[in-house]
Amino acid sequence: MKNAYLGIDVGSISTKGVILDEDNQLLSSSYIWTEGDPIGAVKRLLHLLEADFPKETYTVMGTGVTGSARKLVGAITGATIVKNEITAHAVGTTTFYPDVRTILEIGGQDSKIILVENGVAVDYAMNTLCAAGTGAFLSSQAKRLGMEVEEIGDYALRSQHPTPIAARCTVFAESDLVHKIQMGHPREDIIAGVCRAVVANYLNNVGKGKKILSPVVFQGGVSKNAGVVAAFEDALGCKVLVDPNGHLMGALGAAILARRSRVRKTFDFAIEDLEFHTREAACGRCPNNCEIICVYQGDRLIDAWGNRCEQGAVSPD
Amino acid sequence: MTASTPPTIGLPRALLYYRYGPLWRSFFRTLGVKTVVSSPTSRKTLDQGSALAADETCLSVKIFLGHVQELVGSCDYILIPRISNFGRGRSMCVRFEGLYDVTRNLFRGSGQKFISYNVDLLQNQEEAPAFLALGQSLGFAPKEVKKAYTDAKKREQQVWKARLKAQEPLYRDKSLKILVAGHGYILDDPYVGKVITDFLRQSGVTPIRADLVDRAAALKASPKLSPTCKWEFSRELVGSIALHREQVSGIILLSAFPCGPDAMVNELLLRRLKGIPVLNLVLDGQSGTAGVETRLESFVDIIRFKEGSLS
Repeated sequence: MKNAYLGIDVGSISTKGVILDEDNQLLSSSYIWTEGDPIGAVKRLLHLLEADFPKETYTVMGTGVTGSARKLVGAITGATIVKNEITAHAVGTTTFYPDVRTILEIGGQDSKIILVENGVAVDYAMNTLCAAGTGAFLSSQAKRLGMEVEEIGDYALRSQHPTPIAARCTVFAESDLVHKIQMGHPREDIIAGVCRAVVANYLNNVGKGKKILSPVVFQGGVSKNAGVVAAFEDALGCKVLVDPNGHLMGALGAAILARRSRVRKTFDFAIEDLEFHTREAACGRCPNNCEIICVYQGDRLIDAWGNRCEQGAVSPD
Repeated sequence: MTASTPPTIGLPRALLYYRYGPLWRSFFRTLGVKTVVSSPTSRKTLDQGSALAADETCLSVKIFLGHVQELVGSCDYILIPRISNFGRGRSMCVRFEGLYDVTRNLFRGSGQKFISYNVDLLQNQEEAPAFLALGQSLGFAPKEVKKAYTDAKKREQQVWKARLKAQEPLYRDKSLKILVAGHGYILDDPYVGKVITDFLRQSGVTPIRADLVDRAAALKASPKLSPTCKWEFSRELVGSIALHREQVSGIILLSAFPCGPDAMVNELLLRRLKGIPVLNLVLDGQSGTAGVETRLESFVDIIRFKEGSLS
């Protein structure tokens, strides 16, 4: 049997998974919507990953989990490594693009920039309190225009005169957009304007003060939008690379981190048939009243977190 | 009120308490005045403060108001100084100037009394005469008050020097060192800043506080990064960064939303600080720490990548 490594990236909007062999070759991959149910999404994801996975020749010996639901999913999958999404993206991208200098990443609710020197991440920034200019903004604007978010990228490329849309804040951008629609701007120009607004917002917020050097790799769900890619190339004046597996980069990085970590534990796909649920409990032992999340497999408590102090510590059975 | 029946003074454990606590407590102790300090910040403090504060008030003032709420009814007076400036180019955030009046007005129906003292060097109002007036207003003789103030100043210096001395060796520590630049009242608050420094320590990092610095040296060094910055507390932090940037592997600019001075100064620092990883971390009233943990964890990872200790 040969060793394989599972990487899972559970984001706010989408859930991604890959299985890699020792040489980073993709054995299986999948990309689905989280739909507000990270546990259910991971079960579906594992089901899909298992279908393409050559079980006769490989065993999954390490599991890496990343994304905003990494703690929860790490607990239910018994992950060997749980890492933040920035590290996972940096590791994934520098593995496949050793020359990369700048990684742009726009996901469902997060956006990040990672600067790389000699194949090593040296600086990063992430959106602060505001989710303006992320995938969620594109989705809601697509819906307003009666389109699927997947369609708007190619539609934007038709535009000759992108409509300027106020980019500073999602709320202002949206009211500006409605105004421009009612004024009679053609739809493709408005869509191209929305793509440009996303880029302007990103460069003004996350990319502010950072020196963006080429080669530039763009990833995250929004990198699948050709309109945003074109707007980035226009604004930066250089080629922007989008990997066909760019949407999987966090999961790829998680799998690579699992391989490198040396912790070995055979992964059992049987967990897709187990029942998991969570419960929120208010601690009540001090005025902080922390919200403690308890994760159960059937009736058995497998993990808990959210307490600020020892008084609220809950230990698994 | 006479000196024979001294009143009880309430000290809200927030904002300037973390800077002047030793001075205040020593001053009142010498005079035989009892003080009560509100309990350390908790979720309840923030919830109560948020309910009282205007929407655009910063997190730190919301927490302050929660502490005042806790003290209401448990003391004769609550002390809230009006501190405007320490001279030209040495201003305080306007929140500190207005704090006494805003708070008194918010609690006007509660029957609670407040006392204050004014420091405004541009109007020739210095700290020593302000304390004299404060002590006299409580019924003490000028001689007693002057002595209490002199002793309290000595005590303040002792406590401050001990804190600086305790931090000194950290700069020579062999572990990964990160300079955390945030106001003392954020970093000292167990509900706010401690979460950050605790997380860093758990990750094997030595957090070093930029605000624990020789203040005169920091004020002198601050023009290296910003020649025009006019806020006293910001200048201390800016100067401390200028003095210590070579001794650490990264800098965290820690701010509580929405802090006016930080919004300007930290933006400027992000642009001026080149060649060292800088994380701009803005805390708000959210109870979840996940976003903060993600940012801190990845920042530490990035520094370790850079230094080759993480592959």
